[in-house]
Amino acid sequence: MSLSTAALATRRVLAAASHSSHEGGARTWKILTFVLALPGVGVCMANAYMKMHAHPHHQEEFVPYPHLRIRTKKFPWGDGNHSMFHNPHTNALPDGYESSHH
Amino acid sequence: MAHQAHAYHMVDPSPWPLTGAVGALLLTSGLAVWFHFHSTILLSLGLILLLLTMYQWWRDIIREGTFQGHHTPPVQKGLRFGMILFITSEVFFFLGFFWAFYHSSLAPTPELGGCWPPTGITTLDPFEVPLLNTAVLLASGVTVTWAHHSIMEGEREQAIHSLTLTILLGFYFTFLQAMEYYEAPFTIADGVYGSTFFVATGFHGLHVIIGSTFLAVCLLRQVQYHFTSGHHFGFEAAAWYWHFVDVVWLFLYISIYWWGS
Repeated sequence: MSLSTAALATRRVLAAASHSSHEGGARTWKILTFVLALPGVGVCMANAYMKMHAHPHHQEEFVPYPHLRIRTKKFPWGDGNHSMFHNPHTNALPDGYESSHH
Repeated sequence: MAHQAHAYHMVDPSPWPLTGAVGALLLTSGLAVWFHFHSTILLSLGLILLLLTMYQWWRDIIREGTFQGHHTPPVQKGLRFGMILFITSEVFFFLGFFWAFYHSSLAPTPELGGCWPPTGITTLDPFEVPLLNTAVLLASGVTVTWAHHSIMEGEREQAIHSLTLTILLGFYFTFLQAMEYYEAPFTIADGVYGSTFFVATGFHGLHVIIGSTFLAVCLLRQVQYHFTSGHHFGFEAAAWYWHFVDVVWLFLYISIYWWGS
């Protein structure tokens, strides 16, 4: 498999970094940061943003399954019926959603 | 003037181990009191005592090492062993939660619908925010390596920039994960799925916060000229811890987010 020019250049730089005694090591990782790492984050940011807007999630239909929404012991805060990161739109209480509007 | 005829560090008497132990006692008993009697006074006291202990103990270590020269090569070797052993113990800590996850998910009980994810659970799309979180932590591993090489080569400005970038990425991960926690269609009370998900990722998030704090302390020290190109173990320990946090996330992502969805 033939490598692209950029990949060949990267391989040369990395080879140089491994052969030299700590000279240019910082430069190699600086290049990796701005060429690979941060653009990779940017791509994943764009991907997540687009996916989030592609399918606006509707409120899941409520089914009172006995194995979910366990309340064996009350939560030690508030009314004891809401989890710490409770979201009234996406998290139903044991007897149903508090708010059913979208 | 008295001199020691060896290279080791005979530490001066310190009150911090005692205050730390008392703080841990108050924290644990305080947690139980909060759960059963709804009072937070013991918990708060324990938290304050523990935070004060950590601040003063580690401040003293910095004084002993950086300012008083007690961290000779043999002493540094001991510190390295210590950090490695501590991280190893943390690996075993997380191993337990992965054990719990695989125990429950490899043979789902009839109560869950005999399937994984359990009936009624809407999992998160592993290729949305969780993938972004993976990219963020991997990127922070690159930036922290850039920081290390910068310190070794005496590049002060680059070290400050790369360390700052690493910490910002850590904050971004924490922010994204907090958002995910709020938006998730399931909670910790949603059976064994919710329990394993939030306990494993929750402890991981706590370790991200701890690691970011450790790196932030290193940034402050770097700005104040504590590190030399040949002696910067505090930073190395922080970097090791950060890589460990990154690796734990990769296992979480593959196991819980991807395979478990």
